[in-house]
Amino acid sequence: MTRGDKILYIVCGLLFAAMALLPLFGASGFLLRTITLALMYAVMALAWNFIGGYTGYSAFGNVAFFGIGATVTGVMMTKMRWDFAPAVLLGGVICSLLSFLIGPALLRLRGHYFAVATLGIANAAREIVAGWDDVTGGGIGLNLPLNTDKDFYTLIYYIFLMLTILSAVITYLISRNKLGFGWLAIRENEEGAKALGIDATLYKTLAWVLACFIVGITGGIYAYYNTAISPEAIFNPLYSTTPILITLLGGTGTVVGPILGAMILLPLSTWLLFNFPGIQPALLGIIIILTIIFLPRGLYEYLSGRRKLTLAALLKNPRDNQA
Amino acid sequence: MNSIQFAQTLVNGIILGGVLSLVALGFSIVWGIMHVVNLAHGAFIVLGSYITYTLYTSLGIDPFLGLPLTMITLFVVGYATERWIIHWVIRAPLMAKFFITFGIGMLLENLILQVWKADVRSVTTPYSGASLAIGGVNIPLVKLAALALSILMVIVFHLFLTRTRQGNAIRSTGMDLDAARLTGVKVAPIYALTFGLSTMLAGAAGSLVSMTTSFTPDAGARYTVYAFLVSVLGGLGNVPAVLAGGMIIALIQVFVGFYAPALKDAVSFVLLVVLLLLRPQGLFGKPFTSGKAE
Repeated sequence: MTRGDKILYIVCGLLFAAMALLPLFGASGFLLRTITLALMYAVMALAWNFIGGYTGYSAFGNVAFFGIGATVTGVMMTKMRWDFAPAVLLGGVICSLLSFLIGPALLRLRGHYFAVATLGIANAAREIVAGWDDVTGGGIGLNLPLNTDKDFYTLIYYIFLMLTILSAVITYLISRNKLGFGWLAIRENEEGAKALGIDATLYKTLAWVLACFIVGITGGIYAYYNTAISPEAIFNPLYSTTPILITLLGGTGTVVGPILGAMILLPLSTWLLFNFPGIQPALLGIIIILTIIFLPRGLYEYLSGRRKLTLAALLKNPRDNQA
Repeated sequence: MNSIQFAQTLVNGIILGGVLSLVALGFSIVWGIMHVVNLAHGAFIVLGSYITYTLYTSLGIDPFLGLPLTMITLFVVGYATERWIIHWVIRAPLMAKFFITFGIGMLLENLILQVWKADVRSVTTPYSGASLAIGGVNIPLVKLAALALSILMVIVFHLFLTRTRQGNAIRSTGMDLDAARLTGVKVAPIYALTFGLSTMLAGAAGSLVSMTTSFTPDAGARYTVYAFLVSVLGGLGNVPAVLAGGMIIALIQVFVGFYAPALKDAVSFVLLVVLLLLRPQGLFGKPFTSGKAE
């Protein structure tokens, strides 16, 4: 761990501490909501980071498990009158079971093919949830019981904050463990990793199941937070793409990258929405294009001091990747 | 389903299949040759629809006559997009290439929204309602023409790729980049040409669908998803396979849609995943990229 890494960890720690204290100082509902969403995306980015960042498998349909988690929570809370906590946990468990069942077969695919297969699963899941009227409410969806407690939104805020910290700690522990090294080995050279005696299928499946479990839980919490869930809303492809963008911006395969990426991209996108309402998507599109051309490995390597952030260094990046 | 319903559904399926093949053709070519999954493909199709719409409503140019103009415009837009943006990430990792096109799609969709606003548009000509009735089966003439033009373009593009010098250069670049360079192919302009041709075909598809269905600026995502289905089912970078893939997806859509409309997309996507697991190179594709699953 370099000195830059230590500074980044301290920055993240201070950021979390500041966020934990924020509601105590009477932060506005708008600020809390903005940070709640940023934290939700940070959790999903950390989850994607396991499979996409460390293991190098380009999962492109994590929204499938966001939607399934939300749907299971919704069905359990409305039809079975379950409490929030067990319903969310059941959503997470079902997501992990599903991902465990399809994981070994799916993870035989690599590169584009894996990405497209996960996209297909996301679309199939949406269509099945939308078509299963009796249970899921079909295309209209479900209305979860409204929580009228005045501290409800603060509670959700703290839940997402805890989940972010927990996911970051898990990422940190795994990244220094045999499992994390195994994932990196698979990412760099899967055949080589197998030759070293790594059970690639098991390792990949673990990364995938862990990611899907966390995304499923996030979906369940979002369902309760948002109360109304329709297939169009909870299977919105943005729940797949935004976490990946956040991770690419922050730095893939790092602990702090997804967190910093979320804390930069989400507030920026909200700020743009308020100041340039009509053309916000266009500006966001331009920012995405420029980020990918000039920061192909994300901000992490500059923030941690591994590379100097100079104009010449930024301009050199695209030259390495051109035809 | 009686025999007339069957015949009508079959005809609908074949017409849809021709259009879907054209929707997917450019997408499949860019994926097969450049290893870029173009998430902006649908947005280019929608741009084609709007250009046809403006040519018809403002200048009074018939949509069929406007088709070449739309295609030329889209070729220029696509060529410039490759040259100025995608060119810089062509050797970047997979996710970077995914998201550069994602960003382009977002930008393009928003620009279309700014220029043409969010109203639902359609291109309705005096002859739009005309149709041909054969033994109880109803065939709208515009759709029949769209089918004929789609298949014509697919065939012409296939001949271009297999019979011309430029086409061979494009195919060889997709097969082996270094070998293509060694034989004197200038790769950067070939990539730009490939992308330009792909958006040109997207423009043609957009032009043809604008005459049969209404459209909004955000209609692109759906076309991109269909392009995915058709390309993966057929196989990449292989023109006849795209045609076959388009027909199969369309027939699944109309026949499943006849019995269980809610499940027609679910069946297509489950089929996509199963097919990927069993035969990643597609039903008819030879392992075009020398087996490298990239």
